[in-house]
Parts: sequence; structure tokens; C-alpha cells
Amino acid sequence: MNQNLFTSFNIPVILGIPLAVLIIMFPTMLIIPPKNLINNRLSSIQQWLVKLTLKQMMTSHTPKGRTWSLMLLSLITFIALNNILGLTPYAFTPTTQLSMNLGMAIPLWAATVLMGLRFKTKSSLAHFLPQGTPIPLIPMLIIIETISLVIQPVALAVRLTANITAGHLLMHLLGDTALTLMSIYLSSSTITIIIIILLITLELGVALIQAYVFTLLVGLYLHDNS
Amino acid sequence: MLFRVVLSAAATAAPSLKNAAFLGPGVLQATRTFHTGQPHLAPVPPLPEYGGKVRHGLIPEEFFQYLYPKTGVTGPYVLGTGLILYALSKEIYVITGETITGLEVIGLYIFGVKKFGPSVAAFADKLNEQKLAQLEEAKQASIKQIQDAVDTEKAQQALVQKRHYLFDVQRNNIALALEVAYRERLHKVYKEVKNRLDYHISVQNMMRRKEQEHMINWVEKHVVQSLSAQQEKETIAKCIADLKLLAKKAQAQPVM
Repeated sequence: MNQNLFTSFNIPVILGIPLAVLIIMFPTMLIIPPKNLINNRLSSIQQWLVKLTLKQMMTSHTPKGRTWSLMLLSLITFIALNNILGLTPYAFTPTTQLSMNLGMAIPLWAATVLMGLRFKTKSSLAHFLPQGTPIPLIPMLIIIETISLVIQPVALAVRLTANITAGHLLMHLLGDTALTLMSIYLSSSTITIIIIILLITLELGVALIQAYVFTLLVGLYLHDNS
Repeated sequence: MLFRVVLSAAATAAPSLKNAAFLGPGVLQATRTFHTGQPHLAPVPPLPEYGGKVRHGLIPEEFFQYLYPKTGVTGPYVLGTGLILYALSKEIYVITGETITGLEVIGLYIFGVKKFGPSVAAFADKLNEQKLAQLEEAKQASIKQIQDAVDTEKAQQALVQKRHYLFDVQRNNIALALEVAYRERLHKVYKEVKNRLDYHISVQNMMRRKEQEHMINWVEKHVVQSLSAQQEKETIAKCIADLKLLAKKAQAQPVM
């Protein structure tokens, strides 16, 4: 079934139809909009989580930045759900594809930069020069700041891709190792299995944290430029 | 619309039906029947409180009940085992590294659900309960407010019954004040009248005194005027002679 290590990162295809869009749309089926005042447990917990995340993320923003609440909240929910669902066996994780992450990162980052340049031109350009720099360093520092600005979307996308891909790869590798070791040396296979358990726990954490970091950084760029 | 076309065609075909063409649309609407079936939107049937019963978290109970008449209690389990063994032995399902990872993920998930399930469920129930409690509290506060208003109203009504004491006291006060004012004014009137009368009396007294003095002065003046010098001399000589006589009499008397 798996010719090489990376076949699990191929987009699943049924009868020649790539299923990427369906897989990306699947997490929305798990979020049920609350219908009544008192819902079932799942809806209540989702509601509570959404409120918690929203309060945590958006209180430090200006009112203009808070117009992004829906965007950022749906972003963190989307990334977190995709990452967590990717941990199930034989699942395809859309966030391992650099194309998707770049498609998320570049528009969001560009939106914050353009917003800053349009509404607060002086202040957003002033971010290029930190306070208190010695005068001879200024030209070099501006170049460095520009590069660090341009690299932000790439960093966002590549960070998410690399983390999730690396975690999945490790899990596959360790699984293969455990399988191979079972016929050779059973006890080290048991140890590997225990390691995999720990790794899955880590992956769970990484999944959530990466979503959080992505959204947080976009929020940060927003805060700078709103 | 087609009905009208049909009607007009029928009218041209049979002239006796021409009058019926005017009734065409009305007839169409009148013959359409509304609200004949059972209303199926209301009342809404009550939603079930709990979901369907599931065995092992995955397989609905109805499946076991469905197989029970034919295969008894162990039927579905034998079926499941058979399917799994068939898939494994025919390599329909290949055991790879993914199998081990998958088994561990599922094992971890079941462990998590078994361990944290009840507490998460209790938390969710608590969230709902808090919402209900808030509303209930609002309702109770509203009821209490209205009850307080009713009690206040009752107390006010009871007070109203006792208002006549207040009115009596006020009436007495006012009567007293009126009496005092009346007496005060009476006294003032009396004083004023007495004042005027005293004035008249004193005027009269003064007039009489003045007349008396005037008369006395007049009499004295005229008497003094009438006294001539001769008469004055004679009077004085007579007085001296009288005085001498008196002196003699006075000298004579103490000797006695």
C-alpha cells in the first residue's frame, strides 16, 4: 500500500477525482450551529470553547482590529480541527500541503500589511525602524526589517506545514519500526509502541499549538497595523 | 392559463359555452382545494431527549436486535470477527506501520473518553444548567419585584384606612389656629376702639382744663384790673388793721 514514506501525504483520489476539497470541507460538518438556548452537550462545549477562544484572542485588539474576529476564530478552528482529524489512522491532513498553508498565510498577511499602509501609513512604516538604533546602522536595519516583513507569510505557512508534516512522518516511521521490530525483538517493539503513545500525545499538543500560533501571529500583525 | 385557452377553444367550438369563459379563472380558483390534508407542521412532535442506544460506541443497538432472532446474542460478534479475519487473511486490509499507529491512536482515544468523559459531560451539563439558572433567577427576580410591589400596595391601602386620625389632628390644629387668630383680631379691635375713645376723652379733659385755666386767668386778670390803686390802698390798710386786731387777739388768747 505505501511504496514510500510520503504516500500518506498524497491527496486521496477516488476514480480519478481528487477528494481534497471534500476533505477540507469535512471539519465544518463537526461544528453544529446551536439551535436552541439549551443544546446537547457537544454544542454546549463548542459554544463555550468558542467564547473562551474569542475572549482570549480579541480583547487586546482595537475595535478596528476586532472586525477580524470572525476571520481569526474560523481560522483557528479550521486549523485545529484539520490537525486533530489528521491524527486518525489513514487520514489525510490538508495542512501538510504547503499550497494550502500559503493560500491561508499570504492573503491574511497581505491584508494586514495593506490595511496598515492604507490607514496608518506613517505608523506602519515606522515599524521598520526600532527605536533607539545607532545612526550608522539605519540603512542596514531597514533592509533587514523589510526582509523580515516579506518573510512573514512564508514563515507562517512553512512553520505550519513543517510541524505537522514532521509529526506525521515521525509517527509513520515509528509505526513501521514497531512493526518491523515485532518480528525481531519484541521488547524494543514494546518500547517503540510506548514512544508512539507519547508521540501521539505530543502531536495532539502540536496540532492545537500550531493552530494557535498561526492565528496569534496573524493577530499580532493585525494589531501592529490596525 | 391553459385552462383559459381550453375554455376559449371550447367556446368557439360550442357557442353555448361562451358564457362560461368569463367564469374560467374564478372556477379554477374555486375548485382548487386547500387545507384538506392533515396539518403536518404543527404541533411539532417532541424531540427525543437522548440519542439512539449504541453498543461499543459505534454500532447501533438495532443491529443486534435485528440479528437476535436468527443468531442469538453472539451473532453480531461472530460476524464482526469473521469479517476482520477475512479481511486480514485475504490481505484486503494490510498490516503496515499505520496499523500500529492507528491502533494506538484509537486506544488513546478510548482511554481519554473513558477517563475524562463523565467529567466533560458534567461540565457541559453545568454550562446548560448555568444558563437555565440565570434565566430562572431573572424570572424569580421579576416575580419578587412584583410581589414586593403588591405588598407595598397592600401596606399603602392599610395606611389609607388609618388616614382619618391624621385628618382629625389636622382639623383640630386648624381650628385652634383659627380660634387664636379670631381672638387676636378681637383684641386688636378692642384696643383700637379703646384707643380712639381714650383720645376723645383726653381731648375733652384737656378742653375742660384749658377752659378752666382760661376762666381762672380771665377772672384773675379782670379782678386785678378792677382793683384800682385807691381800693388797693384801702384794702391793704384794712388788712393791716385786721392783722393788728388778730395779733392782739392772739396775744390775748395764750395768756388765757
